[in-house]
Amino acid sequence: MAQAPRFTGQRIRRVEDPRFLTGRGRYLADLEPLGTLAVAFLRSPHAHARIRRLDVTPALQVSGVAAVVTGADLTEANIYCAGLGGQPYPPLAVDEVLYVGHPLVAVVARSRAQAEDAIDAVVVEYEPLPAVVDPVEALAEGAPRVFSQAESNLCFHLEHTPEGLDALFAEAACVVRGTFRHQRQTAVPMETRGILAQYEPVSSRLQVYASSQWGHGLRDGLAKALGLPQSKVQVTLPDVGGGFGAKYGVYPEDVVVAWLALKLGRPVKWVSDRLEAMVSDFHARDSIHIAEGAFAKDGTFLAIRDHMISPAGAYLLDGSAAVLETVIASLVLPGPYKVQAVGFRIDGALTNTTPLGTYRGVWGPAATWVQESLMERAASELGLDRVQMRLHNMVRKEEFPYASCTGVVYDPGSYQESLQTAMEAIDYPGFLKRQREARAQGRYLGLGIAAFVEPTSLGAWQPEPPTVPYESAVVRMEPGGEVVVQVSVNSHGQGHETTIAQLVADALSVDIGKVTVRFGDTAAAPYGGGTFGSRSITVGGGAALEAAGRLRDKILAIGAHLLEAAPEDVELRDGTVAVKGVPARSLSLAEIGRVAHWVPAKMPSGMEMGLEASSRYVPPPITFSNGCHAAEVEVDPKTGRVRIQRYVVVEDCGVMVNPTIVEGQIIGGVAQGVGAAFLEELGYGEDGQPWATTLMDYHLPSVTDVPRVECLHLETPSAVPGGMKGMGESAMVASPAALVLAVEDALSPLGVRFERMPLTPERVWQAMTATRS
Amino acid sequence: MSTEQLKTEAERPVAFTVNGQAWRGWVEVRRTLADVLREEVGLLGTHVGCEHGVCGACTVLVNGQAVRSCLMLAVQADGCEILTVEGLSESTERLHPLQESFWDHHALQCGFCTPGVLLSAYALLQENPQPTLEDIHEWLSGNVCRCTGYQNIVEAISDAASRLSAEKGGR
Amino acid sequence: MKPAPFQYVVPESLEEVMDILGQHGAEAKVLAGGQSLMPLLNMRLARPAVLVDINRLPGLDQIAVEDTAVEIPCLVRQRAAERSPIVAEELPLLREALRHVAHPQIRNRGTICGSIAHADPAAELALVLVALEGEVVAVGRGGERRIPANAFFRGIFTTALEADEVIRSVRIPRRRFSGQAFREFSPRAGDFALVAVAVALDVDPQGRVQTARVAVAAGSDVPARLTEVEARLQGAQAGAEAVKAAAAQAREAVQAGSDAHASEAYRRHLTEVLTEEALLAAMATTGGNVA
Ligand SMILES: Cc1cc2nc3c(=O)[nH]c(=O)nc-3n(C[C@H](O)[C@H](O)[C@H](O)COP(=O)(O)OP(=O)(O)OC[C@H]3O[C@@H](n4cnc5c(N)ncnc54)[C@H](O)[C@@H]3O)c2cc1C
Ligand code: FES
Ligand code: FES
Repeated sequence: MAQAPRFTGQRIRRVEDPRFLTGRGRYLADLEPLGTLAVAFLRSPHAHARIRRLDVTPALQVSGVAAVVTGADLTEANIYCAGLGGQPYPPLAVDEVLYVGHPLVAVVARSRAQAEDAIDAVVVEYEPLPAVVDPVEALAEGAPRVFSQAESNLCFHLEHTPEGLDALFAEAACVVRGTFRHQRQTAVPMETRGILAQYEPVSSRLQVYASSQWGHGLRDGLAKALGLPQSKVQVTLPDVGGGFGAKYGVYPEDVVVAWLALKLGRPVKWVSDRLEAMVSDFHARDSIHIAEGAFAKDGTFLAIRDHMISPAGAYLLDGSAAVLETVIASLVLPGPYKVQAVGFRIDGALTNTTPLGTYRGVWGPAATWVQESLMERAASELGLDRVQMRLHNMVRKEEFPYASCTGVVYDPGSYQESLQTAMEAIDYPGFLKRQREARAQGRYLGLGIAAFVEPTSLGAWQPEPPTVPYESAVVRMEPGGEVVVQVSVNSHGQGHETTIAQLVADALSVDIGKVTVRFGDTAAAPYGGGTFGSRSITVGGGAALEAAGRLRDKILAIGAHLLEAAPEDVELRDGTVAVKGVPARSLSLAEIGRVAHWVPAKMPSGMEMGLEASSRYVPPPITFSNGCHAAEVEVDPKTGRVRIQRYVVVEDCGVMVNPTIVEGQIIGGVAQGVGAAFLEELGYGEDGQPWATTLMDYHLPSVTDVPRVECLHLETPSAVPGGMKGMGESAMVASPAALVLAVEDALSPLGVRFERMPLTPERVWQAMTATRS
Repeated sequence: MSTEQLKTEAERPVAFTVNGQAWRGWVEVRRTLADVLREEVGLLGTHVGCEHGVCGACTVLVNGQAVRSCLMLAVQADGCEILTVEGLSESTERLHPLQESFWDHHALQCGFCTPGVLLSAYALLQENPQPTLEDIHEWLSGNVCRCTGYQNIVEAISDAASRLSAEKGGR
Repeated sequence: MKPAPFQYVVPESLEEVMDILGQHGAEAKVLAGGQSLMPLLNMRLARPAVLVDINRLPGLDQIAVEDTAVEIPCLVRQRAAERSPIVAEELPLLREALRHVAHPQIRNRGTICGSIAHADPAAELALVLVALEGEVVAVGRGGERRIPANAFFRGIFTTALEADEVIRSVRIPRRRFSGQAFREFSPRAGDFALVAVAVALDVDPQGRVQTARVAVAAGSDVPARLTEVEARLQGAQAGAEAVKAAAAQAREAVQAGSDAHASEAYRRHLTEVLTEEALLAAMATTGGNVA
């Protein structure tokens, strides 16, 4: 780079903010082409039932109704949800409903209110069938089956016992065990899901707008489900009001709405309301880990065994939590520690609940909880200092790249340093003193530590990866000198319009105001894997940097040619190409742009006209961020309520493009971690009725629940162009563990261990009374 | 039509002022103020996130008071003065100090909760130009943000309060 | 999540309200602040044929002080009450409780009487009405009746109101206590209480409790006075010892079953904790000597 970066690394205010601040963001619900019809779904009130009678004719009489369709209508047209392994997945239930919220009828009407009026008019008779909710019960002999024709509810199984594992356990000086049950949650983006589809029969083109994290994936899924060529389906993403994993993939409602648009030839739109969101957005987590850790006398972490049991819900989705949470956990269970062997067994079970999919930090909150708990328990059993013991086991600087026993390779990080930095920031020795003093007064203070690694920016992480291994970018300079960047990743709050512009502005030495970043339209954006797994700035940004670098080379070549200088003697500087050391000999980018687009005679011979470069960037298989969270809490012994007194995060995500945005991700992630640790739970009764169906019952963290987060940074550059690492999920991954362990530490005089999250005041109180008595 | 008849119709005429502009039209009685502001008045900045009063995304000012527009029928706003996020600043170029402060402090990510949060903050500062942290927490507890973790929002509101009082003092 | 169709009427007088209610009975619903009813309408959990919007009734939005009682008519918003100098002066317990009701944005529209009419067992305002021996002034075609708070709440979301009756106001006796306190435990700020306790006391100059009011919300289907606890406190020396005993007894009085929000055991425990805290706080404000 000719100049020191002007924008990269700076706390630039976000480019996209003015439109959001003035109410001019445009989300899916805000789009309404003339003649748009609204969709509402009839959803099952039963966890499992046979549909004895379904009469939609009364619904057709309701004013404003254009169409009413049932599951049979779709299956007769051979419409299924795309891309699912296992059993066929009809978008609307046929014959049987399998969970509360399972859609079985769709109504299209002039307004949403009328569509709901018609839903009310549909006549259904259900014959309730036995339902099963708990994955352990679902796998037991004689359990009710979700699919009666299937042999069992087991839908996924994987196990691995490495050689030597049993010996390590046999020789261990100390074996600690625990059961860790992460509750069921859902992501709850504040904007609910939604889709608008429009079909143009003459050119047989389907235009779709959707609140989604991955336009190309939705396009491919809809094309497959509807039997259309991918080129005939265009997906455009408007502003997206949060996703957190819940908007990644193709939902049954998407298929139904697109098919309705095709069938009716009119724009058809569905915006999920919050009641349906609670039972139809992917549910997440809900895994049980029965884990044990083997340790040597000096505290050396030898081996882990983990039996993971996870429900899939009524269908095993492509991105099922039962598979992704557990399989990824099996790869990174050791976290930042050197472990000699990891053995695991994974059982996924179909259950009569909403299907489980992805939520920010897939694998992480549960796995980090397991990993850090085993460490804590061993430290206390062996009588070792928990910080020293962690340091002792961590991968050291000189050991990178480190090949973990699970087969993944850790790129360089700052494991020990981040733990040490966190302990300094929270004043560990001072805390121990405060804790002693508090205990003497009958107060319960605790410190929780969660050192973590975050596998980010997946590339070709398997020989045939289940995710798109690259992202792409096209960078072009217009004749006037402005720069447009098209990227395949899109933003639903992460600020790519700013961060990617920062990168490209520096790469081309132009002002950030000259750079426009675009994404979200499959007709314009190049193909890619979309926004998931903390990859946008690394893989998407990496592609943008590569493409910008290629464009820079071309600009320099044209400039050198025009300035009659050797390419190595010219440089980009403040929007010009100048001869090094002779600032007077320079050309503006507008001049280069004019030549490149209009004047072939002035181009270097043989060079293609235009100023455009692209990149499809395949990153290393996995780029690991790392860091450490430290939480100080006080538990009210009377009520069990936990107050978070201090919260420190040390994050190493390589080079930071915009520290303010990085911190925004961290603070927001900690808030979601607070939700997981203390508040949020999607419980089900044994009858399969969900307990939390509104935001009154599903307790999202509010301002008074979250701590002030103190963010500290370390920077170990990665091998990705620009040296960045992903970091969108780490705070969600580490914070529940830090918080739960802080409470256990506070209550250590009582010997309390928690087996299940969230730690509601009642559960904390129960744990305290149970051990007291 | 007699008033007696009017009173029981499915639609009623409604007139209110929104962001200083008069609006009138016939409105189905069952529609919420949020839906009518969005779909009839065309002010799409008011967002709907739950329709049961919890999330606060739909917060607007009615006669100077911050309320949930999803928990009010549009017909109830007849004769009222309404302020939505679009009316907060004179223009999209000249932001209100609160908006500036939110921008400076990175108090928004996806932006979906932002209009409601801004209006709650605006109402708070109208009522209480120098709020304590506790005051800010009380008001903000009525708005859910899933992205930011609130910290930057709280800082932005405190900072805006200082800026606004400095502006006042300066004049 | 859009309301089912309804007829919408905006009566201009209470007589008109009673007429409409009389005519439509249970098919009609009164709409006050809408902070409980509107969510139910949006979710179609309430489907009244007729919605009677009382918000335009004249002259019912001012709190009045009479000789013996403070009258809070049906269009007094919760937030207006919270900021009212009359409430601050005469009904400090109500003021304290109001801070726990939802959020300012909800209190800006929600009415005191609407909360009472809604009769959520966990509602703070119903609890205060019971603790302070307030009464509900109901008007119907049969005329006006005054229903004492303890007879008004009949069960979860169930009251003594007849289908043709509307609450015109609630009245709370002007009675100064030497000390009072409100304590609540809820999952998050602004949530309904898992348990709430309201206490009002008179302590004589010798530090003996002369009168005690102790009431609990969410401890059973209706907000309830704990009369045995009150009796035990009566005449006792104000102080930690009496408080402990009273709190332990309060715990036993609670009969709420378990639900998704809390188990009965925890509710009982919270009742004890909050009763103790509230009693101590109330005694501390009496200025009397608390042993
Ligand atoms: C997010 C949220 C949080 C909340 N948190 C709490 C909380 O913590 N504690 C709490 O107590 N409440 C809480 N509420 C409810 C709130 O306090 C309501 O304002 C109150 O319960 C109802 O008052 P309203 O004036 O809004 O009545 P409405 O919603 O208009 O009516 C409620 C019911 O009472 C009837 N009614 C109303 N007025 C009369 C009248 N004058 N005569 C006869 N019947 C009448 C209606 O027909 C209806 O059945 C919360 C609400 C929301 C949306
Ligand atoms: S949409 Fe009104 S409060 Fe959520
Ligand atoms: S910024 Fe996304 S919900 Fe607040």
